Amino acid sequence: MKDYSCATQCTWCDGCGDYGIWTALKRALVELNISPHGVLLCYDVGCHGNMSDKLLGYRFHGLHGRVLPFAAGAKLANMHLPVLAFGGDGASFSEGIGHLVHAVRSNYPIVFVLHNNGNYGLTTGQASALTPQGQPMTASPNGIPEQTLPSMDFIFSLEPTFVARGFSGNIAEMSEILKAAIKHRGFAFVDMLQACPTYNHFATHEYLLERCYTIENHDTSDFQKARALAVDTSKKIATGILYQNENVPNFYERLVPRQGKKTTLVEEVEVRDVSTLMKNFV
Amino acid sequence: MERISLKIVGASGQGIISIGEILAKAFKRSGYCVFGYREYMSLIKGGHGSYQIDVSDALIRSTEEHVNVLVALNHHGFEQNLSELKEGGVLVHESKDWKFSSQHQAIIKKNKLQVVFLPIEEVLAKLKAKPILGNVFFAAFVWAAFGGDKVLLKELVSERFSKKKDQLTKNMQVIDEGFAHHTMHTSALHVALPAPDKQWSKQLLLTGSQAMGLGIVHAGCRLYAGYPMTPSSPLLSYIADIQNETGMVIKQAEDEITAAQMMSGANFMGTRAITATSGGGFDLMSETVSLNGMIENPSVFVLAQRPGPATGLPTWTAQGDLLMAIHTAHGEFARCVMAVSDSDDAFRLMPEAFNIAEEFQTPVIVLTDKQIAEAIYTQKPYDQGAMQINRGKLIVQPTALKKLRSGDRYDPKITDGISVRWLPGSEAVTYCAQGDEHSADGSVDETAANAVTQIEKRMRKAEAMKKTLLDPELFGGQNPDVLLVGWGSTKGAILDVLENLTKSGVGYLHFTYLWPLRTEKFEKLAAKAKKVIFIEGNHNGQLETLLRQECGYRDGEHIRKYDGRPFFYDKLHDQIVSITSA
Repeated sequence: MKDYSCATQCTWCDGCGDYGIWTALKRALVELNISPHGVLLCYDVGCHGNMSDKLLGYRFHGLHGRVLPFAAGAKLANMHLPVLAFGGDGASFSEGIGHLVHAVRSNYPIVFVLHNNGNYGLTTGQASALTPQGQPMTASPNGIPEQTLPSMDFIFSLEPTFVARGFSGNIAEMSEILKAAIKHRGFAFVDMLQACPTYNHFATHEYLLERCYTIENHDTSDFQKARALAVDTSKKIATGILYQNENVPNFYERLVPRQGKKTTLVEEVEVRDVSTLMKNFV
Repeated sequence: MERISLKIVGASGQGIISIGEILAKAFKRSGYCVFGYREYMSLIKGGHGSYQIDVSDALIRSTEEHVNVLVALNHHGFEQNLSELKEGGVLVHESKDWKFSSQHQAIIKKNKLQVVFLPIEEVLAKLKAKPILGNVFFAAFVWAAFGGDKVLLKELVSERFSKKKDQLTKNMQVIDEGFAHHTMHTSALHVALPAPDKQWSKQLLLTGSQAMGLGIVHAGCRLYAGYPMTPSSPLLSYIADIQNETGMVIKQAEDEITAAQMMSGANFMGTRAITATSGGGFDLMSETVSLNGMIENPSVFVLAQRPGPATGLPTWTAQGDLLMAIHTAHGEFARCVMAVSDSDDAFRLMPEAFNIAEEFQTPVIVLTDKQIAEAIYTQKPYDQGAMQINRGKLIVQPTALKKLRSGDRYDPKITDGISVRWLPGSEAVTYCAQGDEHSADGSVDETAANAVTQIEKRMRKAEAMKKTLLDPELFGGQNPDVLLVGWGSTKGAILDVLENLTKSGVGYLHFTYLWPLRTEKFEKLAAKAKKVIFIEGNHNGQLETLLRQECGYRDGEHIRKYDGRPFFYDKLHDQIVSITSA
């Protein structure tokens, strides 16, 4: 774990769920024997993005809502390197929701960790698309008029190949989820329910602790059952790997020009002879 | 130098392009320099489109407004374009029993036009050929009227339909019929061409987009991410069409932001990647341009201009986005803006763009426009020995990697502002490519002192870049009394005019590198010249504005065009003559 340690002090609020996710991430990487130089961690903008200088590894901290296409472009250039992208529910289900849709559809071979605290933390507690309708928040004292976006139902409607849910209070389980997600063939969607002690007064750490339970004896290949489990959070909230399908080729594997290529795009940067292509124009 | 022009007009979808492409190649293979130009509207079927071929025994790189031969595939064609025929010009059409209006009859009489009707429907019915073969009949007849070689035309048509062998025999019959029709009915019709020059026959005939695509492949670029938008789409199409040969990853993204981000991510990982769009799409990319400025990431954006604002004139040309390219995106950071002007530098500047992006670890914006993207150029095969890949201060050696400290990545003490770069996955200490203001290793640092040193570091790269960019290039007289100044696609028309001016002492200064802007050469030449004329395809005179901003020059005259059309050779010639003799 200390290989990933860094001197920068954490700036998250006491009790923030980001501490748990941060710890689980380092643990998963160490347990998979991935050294800091062997991974790319891409962060969106939000409280979670402040993790970008709180651990080692090659890291990127980009624009609000845009982390997925950057991470996908990076991965396609070097298929040997594990690439993980992190984003909050604010960015991922509003500004960047188009990217999320197409990332699932493209089945890019990357991990996406949703830091789901039900609000915009870093901009001081505005409602996100996942905040319950009617919940008073900063900039919406009467609660938001919009319907809450049913995130899990929405994700399942896109026919994902990996869906898991973790809880920021259960580091051991989050580590296992992340390890499986990193090893997954295609796009791994990991919903981490996390406490936001400063702004989220509706799904607190205690609330989540009471409801979250690790799913056991669950067939992760059963799409319908997984969807039902993921969507129904009215009484209990199932955590763990909910769905996984390794039979679907990822985006890169589907590219005709890359069939049989042993090198990565990074290794292929060299002057290329275009004589044959020029002949078509004579 | 003698030039002849032929314009094929009709509705989109009628086959204007296929006739145009066949004839353009026929002229080139016969030993003529060809310049092709397409006009069309933003629709798929109908509307009014044209394909113009200008031909000469000497180098030409522009289009005339008035043409020698007009081929009309429908009556709207000649109704709209009849007045563009030169005196003694030829109209070939297929509108049976057409009664020309009195106005058109007057034009025909006044300009001594020859009008030829082709009974295409009857010919095709006789041969039991499909209506689409009317295009081949047109091409064969016109080619015969130019005194062209039938065997050569058959070769070209066979090449074009090599994948549709069943239709080949019919095509050959139609060609025979086209030539026979010329011999039997209108053998007096003969359009004279200058003597051919064999140097042209082995050259390439390609669009600026294809030239750019070849340059991108040659530069070692391995990923292209884009979103369809005219006039950048032909580049996407070409790059996509050759993907199985090049092995490149081509991504048609869900929007321009995605395309720009994927390109940035791929470059960050260490390959060479590019994106291309037009003005509206580039607006969406501008936040990503800024991000690359901050994380000092090599990135290449092609901005193919068309007239704006908003959707503007989607399928027409403009040079209206120069100042946007220079000023777009929030914050202050180093960037390079360059403009291609023809099929030669559309190829040559692509490796250059990647080299500058990597050397200075910064965004490079390559301007092109609809005119270059879709014009058809006769081009000498590219010299592939000229280009070398320059990856700047990229560290890849294992021993050198071992010695790195995290703080080397964005070390603000570096004199030229360009700190060393190493790639994710390298066995070395790690860093963060940080979009927030950061210290040397990419950790967030909001202190005042750090902000100052990091901004100054990044801006020193602009100074370093300015020193290495080439000066603008002077064509024509070396100490010109009249100095023409321009950038981008206007170069072709200006050089054609320059070579045909009787007046001496006229020079043309062409800017390829537009930011950072080197002004010394311009200042020296402008101080000596009696007259300075800026020629630009925009309303506000954007290069003129930029030169005023950078060196205070404010005495020039100008020729500006903002009607969506390129500068035409004949019109520009008259404008330049008129100003220079005033």
